[in-house]
Amino acid sequence: MLGIKEIASYLPENKISNYDKKEKFDLDDDFIENKIGVKFHCRKNDDEKSSDLCVKAFQNLLKKMTIDISTIDCCIVVTQNPDYNIPHTSAIVHGKLELENECACFDISLGCSGYVYGLSNILAFMQSNNLKNGLLFTSDPYSEIIDDEDKNTNLIFGDGSTVTYIGEDPLYVAKDFSFGTNGKSYKEILCDEKLYMNGRAVFNFTATTIPKYIQKLLKKNDLQDEDIDKYILHQGSKYIVDTIRKRLKVDVSKVPFDMYDYGNTISSAVPMILEKELYNDSSRLLLSAYGIGLSWGSVILEKINLNKEDK
Amino acid sequence: MKATVENIKEIIVEADVLGDVEEMKSDVALSEQGIDSLDVVNVYLLIEEKFDVQIPDEDIDQVKTIDNIVEYVNNKLV
Repeated sequence: MLGIKEIASYLPENKISNYDKKEKFDLDDDFIENKIGVKFHCRKNDDEKSSDLCVKAFQNLLKKMTIDISTIDCCIVVTQNPDYNIPHTSAIVHGKLELENECACFDISLGCSGYVYGLSNILAFMQSNNLKNGLLFTSDPYSEIIDDEDKNTNLIFGDGSTVTYIGEDPLYVAKDFSFGTNGKSYKEILCDEKLYMNGRAVFNFTATTIPKYIQKLLKKNDLQDEDIDKYILHQGSKYIVDTIRKRLKVDVSKVPFDMYDYGNTISSAVPMILEKELYNDSSRLLLSAYGIGLSWGSVILEKINLNKEDK
Repeated sequence: MKATVENIKEIIVEADVLGDVEEMKSDVALSEQGIDSLDVVNVYLLIEEKFDVQIPDEDIDQVKTIDNIVEYVNNKLV
């Protein structure tokens, strides 16, 4: 059975401090730490592109496990800030990693919900085409589109990337997915030249829509809160994560928050948290990612041993 | 249900945004009484949900104080 074997991430060393913007945006420490939840956000070098961030995540993956490059038969990149309009960034990554010609590559254009969609896509694509070793990258360097004068976006987003290795004998397998879109609200997060975000609309969307669909997914699978060890929520801001948690009536210990030192990394936010949970004792995880579109996706992951016992 | 100063204060308590809501003045802007830009968005959402009304972005200037909110909501409920 295919599933998640390993995850690695990359965060640029260059960090921007939100404490340095207190005067410019009329902020206090409480707002930075307890509302936004971003003290520093990572910024890539100007000459680095999305594919470069993918390569660096892959180099970190190689530090965790041995990979025979010749066996990689699927490579997907989730990004909305590709290296170029044409070609797809996954082809560039394919070239830079010197993957074999018999390797399927395509991009997925999604923002914050992208990891959950990407996970479903790579699992289904690999299963239906009998592929064995896949790489799912997330890399969306928002520093290229952030307006430095916009308080709504300037304080939150950071650059970063992840790679998830999909293969046989995994640590976690996907039990069930749930997806949704509210396309009538697409303008609430929009990038023409620079990024625009209607913070109130995005907050209302996440606070009302996400808890409802998480509960629906649990009910569909006949699961209760006590059956979920951790809820890994998209790290939109601390306020949003806290609000969803409170509306779900879930204990704070079950909802990791970890973006203080690097910011909201868009589609990389969920796998960055998941990477830290992979070897913990959790048997069952619920991932939920939401944002641009407005779009959302959730998935229940089960540790493979639990899955075997169930059978 | 009509909006009153008391039930708007109850919503502010529910939003978990301020220590002592009883001390809040109903004729002073929420933003001047310790409710920041994120908290106020949460308060507006709870009001929308409790009273089943919409407060569009263009009406935000009409709901700065508790008194403003009470009047705005009750006008919508008529």
